[in-house]
Amino acid sequence: MKTLRTLPEALETAARSGEGYTFVVNGADARRSYAELQHESFRVARSLKEAGLQRGDVVALVLLDAEHFLTVLFGASMAGVVPASVYPPATAGGLDRYFDLTAGILRASGARAVVTTAALASGFEALRPTCPDLALVLLREGLDAPARPPDALPSLNDIAFVQFTSGSTSAPKGVALSHSNLSANVDAINGPAGLGTSADDTAVSWLPLYHDMGLVGMALGPLYASRPGILLTPQAFVRRPGEWLKAISRYRGTISFAPNFAYDLSVRRVKDRDLEGLDLSCWRVAGCGAEPIHAPTLSAFAERFASVGFRATSFLPSYGLAEHVLAATFPPRGRPPLVEHIASDDLTERRLAVLAEGGSSVPIVSCGCALPDHSIRIVNDDGGELPDREIGEITLSGPSVMLGYYQEPALTAETLKDGWLYTGDLGYLSGGELFVCGRAKDVIIVNGRKYHPQDLEWAVAELAGIRRGRVVAFGTTQQGASDRVVIVAEPSGTVGAVALAEAIRRRVGESFGLYVDDVVSVPSGTIGRTTSGKVQRAATKARYERGVLVGEAADKAELPA
Amino acid sequence: MSPQASAQIEEGVIDVLKRVSRRPIEPVLDSDLIADLGFDSLQVLEVIAELEDRFDVSIPLNDVATIRTVAQVVAEVARLIEGRST
Repeated sequence: MKTLRTLPEALETAARSGEGYTFVVNGADARRSYAELQHESFRVARSLKEAGLQRGDVVALVLLDAEHFLTVLFGASMAGVVPASVYPPATAGGLDRYFDLTAGILRASGARAVVTTAALASGFEALRPTCPDLALVLLREGLDAPARPPDALPSLNDIAFVQFTSGSTSAPKGVALSHSNLSANVDAINGPAGLGTSADDTAVSWLPLYHDMGLVGMALGPLYASRPGILLTPQAFVRRPGEWLKAISRYRGTISFAPNFAYDLSVRRVKDRDLEGLDLSCWRVAGCGAEPIHAPTLSAFAERFASVGFRATSFLPSYGLAEHVLAATFPPRGRPPLVEHIASDDLTERRLAVLAEGGSSVPIVSCGCALPDHSIRIVNDDGGELPDREIGEITLSGPSVMLGYYQEPALTAETLKDGWLYTGDLGYLSGGELFVCGRAKDVIIVNGRKYHPQDLEWAVAELAGIRRGRVVAFGTTQQGASDRVVIVAEPSGTVGAVALAEAIRRRVGESFGLYVDDVVSVPSGTIGRTTSGKVQRAATKARYERGVLVGEAADKAELPA
Repeated sequence: MSPQASAQIEEGVIDVLKRVSRRPIEPVLDSDLIADLGFDSLQVLEVIAELEDRFDVSIPLNDVATIRTVAQVVAEVARLIEGRST
């Protein structure tokens, strides 16, 4: 096992390598060596101290610019300040809602400072009355004190950063990771059982840095290996997916990860003329993770881009989660994705993965084996270990398991039990390889981003026309596609069902950039409550899926003619 | 801009909206992209990219954030085309 390193130590090593990041913004690229970034981070570290931040204080990072984000992350770490990454506002959507929701994260983390952009600073200033701990709203540009190497560096057991990765705002959960967690995971990712990163590798990514795969996998991964990282913006990718593939070709990228939806988007939106001059033969690791992996998506991608040198053996479908830093499993490299076709009936009714012989089946992609020095167990509802091919909750142990949810001991105790991380995901093992089948927790995943039902419920709860507290949001999974977002509400009768559905869609769209696929108005008393007063989300969802939820069928015909 | 040119832009925008949407929609000028037509933030950007190709304009990301309705999309495209020809 490699010697574990703190983030400032890894940066120090990388700074001596001569390598660095290339930031590609609006088509122009700017190379910054790790040495230059280290120097900038020294300035940030000193500026944060001069601003009055103490060891252990939390500073929230709300920055879209990758270079800004990384230098503040490194600088905060050097200063012993705890950086917490927070989602910036969605492209489409009202900023007022964004600040309301973000205030919850700032309060939960007890952040003493926010580092952000000029455009957002006044919005954060306005939050100070409701966020008593928030003393400072800082601009990245203002963190320009003269560079001086910091005097007290963090130790391996200190928190490296807190990731509010899910973006949950109703019940904000910050994943706290130590430097030791981070190093263990990144080193395993780069190691021989992971990507096998060598002196020939270059990483290319458009993933956002407030997401674990973007930050840990594609930015810190290359840094810990002293390799170059080419960082595009998420906006560039979603506007023109071909820019991702062109960057891999142009920079001779060897490693690039993306969620399933990105491969799907590339197949659908990259045009024939974008293929001209493209050469993807350099791409040896095409990682896929962060959301359910759909076998036909990978096949379609391999077929579409075979003519420009893409190989199906480059795919590396993997499983992981922020609570485990990033990665939990990798398959052996150099083989096409291993897919099992599982009989649907056994899957849903017996929770057993039986290979289908005719009949309806579900293709499930292997995510491979546990990392070295880490373990996986599949358990039943009572925590008992299940044999191969029986479906249960995926639990993980080893040096990558998070310290806990930041300042949330009760929530942490529910998730970490006897050294095992309960992931909330469902899967089975076969021959040491993990096959992921679904989620036990009620998170909704659309286009690789996670949404918490309660956030949606809270966002629409105060709309006129809904009975107080009588609204439930959930996602229904569909093979190979994003979840369908469903909201069930009991109208109070003051607003018509059509107008109510429209208001709900508008509010969720503005707040989250998300479309609600189905709005169901139900009679009073349909949405049950638990004895503790919570809405019965799972029960409502089950009735919806069985088709026994009696709606007033209001919104089916409401599209404008 | 002539009424014909304007109508042509409107027609083009509506065609792009219909093609990008994965459900049957009937956009009119008043339709809100998110609330009425069901576009998510990713699809709004897809619409923008398609419009840029079709009309050979470059739509600034800052402007995208303020666009809500079909009429606003049409106006933005018209504004950029006008700016190009002067």
